[in-house]
Amino acid sequence: MNTSSNDKQITDDLMPQKFSKSGMIWVGILSTICVIGAYAYYRQLRYGLGVTSMRDYVSWGIYISNFVFFVAISLVGSLITAIFRLANVAWSTPLTRIAEIIAVSAITFASLIIIVDMGRPERLYNLFAHGRLQSPIAWDVIVITTYLFISLFLLYVPLLPDLKIMNQQKNKNSAWQNKIYIFLGSFWKGNSEQVKISDKIINILCIMIIPVAFCIHTVTSWLFATTYRPGWDSTNFGAYFISGAFLVGAGGVIVAMYVFRKHYHLEKYITELHFEKMGRIAVMLSLIYLYFNINEYLVPAFKMKKSEAAHLAELFTGEFSIMFWFAIMVGMIIPIFIMLFKKGRKPLPMFITGIMIVVGAWFKRYLIVTPTLLHPFLPMQNVPDNYKHYFPSWEEWAITMGSLAGALLIVTFFVRIFPIIPIHETITEQNEKDHSK
Amino acid sequence: MKKIIQNRYLLLFFVFSSMLFANRSFAQEDAGQEIVKLHYYNSNNSIQYLILESTLKKNKVFTPQKDKTYQIYLDSAGTNLIAKVKTDAAGKGKAFLPPTLKKIWDASPQHTFIVKAGDEEIISDFIITKAKITIDTLNLDGIKSIVATVFKFENNTWTPAKDVEMKVGIQRHGGVLSAGDEETYTTDSTGSVTAEFKKLNLPGNQKGDITLVAKVEENEFFGNLAAQKSVKWGVPTKVDTHFFEQRTLWTTRFKTPYWLLFMAYSIIIGVWGTLIYLVRQVIKIKKLGS
Repeated sequence: MNTSSNDKQITDDLMPQKFSKSGMIWVGILSTICVIGAYAYYRQLRYGLGVTSMRDYVSWGIYISNFVFFVAISLVGSLITAIFRLANVAWSTPLTRIAEIIAVSAITFASLIIIVDMGRPERLYNLFAHGRLQSPIAWDVIVITTYLFISLFLLYVPLLPDLKIMNQQKNKNSAWQNKIYIFLGSFWKGNSEQVKISDKIINILCIMIIPVAFCIHTVTSWLFATTYRPGWDSTNFGAYFISGAFLVGAGGVIVAMYVFRKHYHLEKYITELHFEKMGRIAVMLSLIYLYFNINEYLVPAFKMKKSEAAHLAELFTGEFSIMFWFAIMVGMIIPIFIMLFKKGRKPLPMFITGIMIVVGAWFKRYLIVTPTLLHPFLPMQNVPDNYKHYFPSWEEWAITMGSLAGALLIVTFFVRIFPIIPIHETITEQNEKDHSK
Repeated sequence: MKKIIQNRYLLLFFVFSSMLFANRSFAQEDAGQEIVKLHYYNSNNSIQYLILESTLKKNKVFTPQKDKTYQIYLDSAGTNLIAKVKTDAAGKGKAFLPPTLKKIWDASPQHTFIVKAGDEEIISDFIITKAKITIDTLNLDGIKSIVATVFKFENNTWTPAKDVEMKVGIQRHGGVLSAGDEETYTTDSTGSVTAEFKKLNLPGNQKGDITLVAKVEENEFFGNLAAQKSVKWGVPTKVDTHFFEQRTLWTTRFKTPYWLLFMAYSIIIGVWGTLIYLVRQVIKIKKLGS
C-alpha cells in the first residue's frame, strides 16, 4: 500500500462517525439523567439547600466528594498529554486527545458542581468581589480557571492539523459540522511557519500544565488539610491527592480507550500494546497511591489520638467500614493483582480494572469528605438525630449523577464532532515508520 | 354459663371504659396551670412599656408558653386596648403604651392594667401609680456622689416618694455595680438617695465615659423605674488594634501578607502572562493562514 492510500485509510478510520443506534440510546440515557439532575437543581434553587441532607455538621457532602473526584480525574490531561509528550513517549499519541477531553469535561463539571454546592449561585460574584487571597478557596478558584483554560488550549492547538483534514472532507461532513470546522480551523494551512509556532505553543503548554495541574490538586487537598479536623490534619495531603488523581485519571483513560476501541473499531490504532503500557503505568500509580494510603491511615492509627480514634474506628470497623474496605480493595489492591500479570493487562481485564479504579476512587473521595465532618472535636449535642448522620437526598444523588452524565455527554459529543485519535499525528508517525523501514 | 361469660365481657368492657375515662380525667388534671405575670417599666421617664410573661406549671415544672396571644387593656377591658401580644420562645411578650392612649394616661395618677386571653380576663388588678426617677451627680471636696430621687404623681403634682428601695450604681455588662458598699439604698423623706461613688478607676469607653444608673425593681406601687446618666468618671480604654492591623493569614483581604501577595501575583501574572502570549501566537497563526 502506498503512502497516500495509507493516509486515506487512516483518515477514513479516524473520521468522526454518526451515532449508531446504541450511540443514540447512550445519548438518550445520559440526557435523561441530566434532565432529572436539572430538575433536582431547580428544586434546590426553589426550596434551598434544605432539600439536601447536608446540615450543620456535614456541610460538605456528596457534592464536594464529586468535586474532588472531578478534579482528580482531570489530572490525566497533564499525565498523558504533557508528561508523555515531554518524555517523547511515542506510543501515547492515540491517547492524548482522549486524555485531554476527559480533563476538559471533568474540570468543567468540577467548576459547576462547586457552584451547585454554594446553594445561592449568584453569590459566586462575592468570591471575586470580596475574596481573600489568604483563603485556599480563592486559590482553588484561580487555579481551576487557569487549568480549564490551559486544558482547552491544549485540546485545541493540536486539533488544528486535524481540522484542516476535516475541512478537506467537506462532502463527508454535515453542514453544521463544516461550519464548526471552518470557524475553528479554516486558517490552518500547515505551512512551516504555522507548524513551528504551533509546536512552540504545545511545548510551552505541556511544560506549564504540569505545575498548574499539581497546584490544582494540592490546593484542593489544602481545602481539607488547612482545616484542623480529624482525618484532614495531615501534611501528607498534597502528595496523597496528586497520587490518587494520577491513578483515577489513568483508570478513566483505560475505560475510555476500551470503549472507543470497541465501539469505533479502532483496534489498529489503540492496540493491545497500549493496554499493556497503560497497565504497567496503572500498577505503578496504584502502588504509589496505596503507599500514601498506608501513610495516611497507619500513622494516625498507630498513635490513636482520641479525636482521631473515633474517626478511624468508623472507617475501619464502623459505619463506613464496608465502603472503606471496598474503596481500598476494589480501587487499589485488586487492580494491582490483576494488572501485575500479563493476562491482566489485556483489553477486557484492563477495562474491568479501569472501572474498578474509577468507582473505587469515587467512593474514596466520599470517604475523605464525609466521615471527618461527622467527627468534630466537640461532641455533637442538642441537635436533631439527622444532624448526626448523613445520607444524600434524592436531589443530591440526581444532581451528582446528572453532573457525571454531563461530563460523559461532553466526551460523547466531542467524539461525534472531532476525531478522538489525532489523524495528522497518526499519519505522520506512520509515514516516519514507513520511511525508517 | 353463656350468660356468665357475657356478663364477664360486659364487666371487662366497663373496667376498660372506666380506665379510659379515668385516663382522660388524669389528662385534664395533667394539662397544667397557666401563670401569667405582668411587669411595668418606665425607662428614663420617657418610655413606658409592659412585659407579659406566660408560663405553664405542670408536674411542678414551669415551662414558658410560646405563641400564646393576649390582649392588654388600660383601665377598661374592651375599650382601651394597649396591644395584642404574642409570646416568644421565652414565653414573653412586650407592649408599648400607644400615643392614642396618652389622654387617658395623663388623666389619672393611677392606672389598672387588664390582661385578657380571648374573652377570659386573666389579670384585672394590676395597679400602677405613675412615678419617675431622676439621677444627678455631686462633687464635694473631690468626693463624687450619685443623687437619685424618686417622685410619684399625686394630686396633679410630682411629690417625693419615701422608703423606696433602689439600686444606685454603674451599668456594667453583667448588671448594676453598686456605687458604694451597700447593695441597695432606700429613699429618705425627700425621696432621695445619695450614694458615694467608691468604684474608682473603673474602665470606661475610649473617652472614659461610664453610665450611672438608678433602678427601682418590681416595686409593688411603681413597677420598674430606671434612669441613666453618662459621666466621665471612668478610665479611658485604649483599644489594642495592633493584632488586627498586622498583615496575617487570618485578617481581612485588605491585610494580606506582602509575601503572599508577592507570591500569588507573581504566579498569576507569570502563568496568565504566558497564556496571553500564547493566545497572541494563535492569532499569529491565524494571520499567517489568511
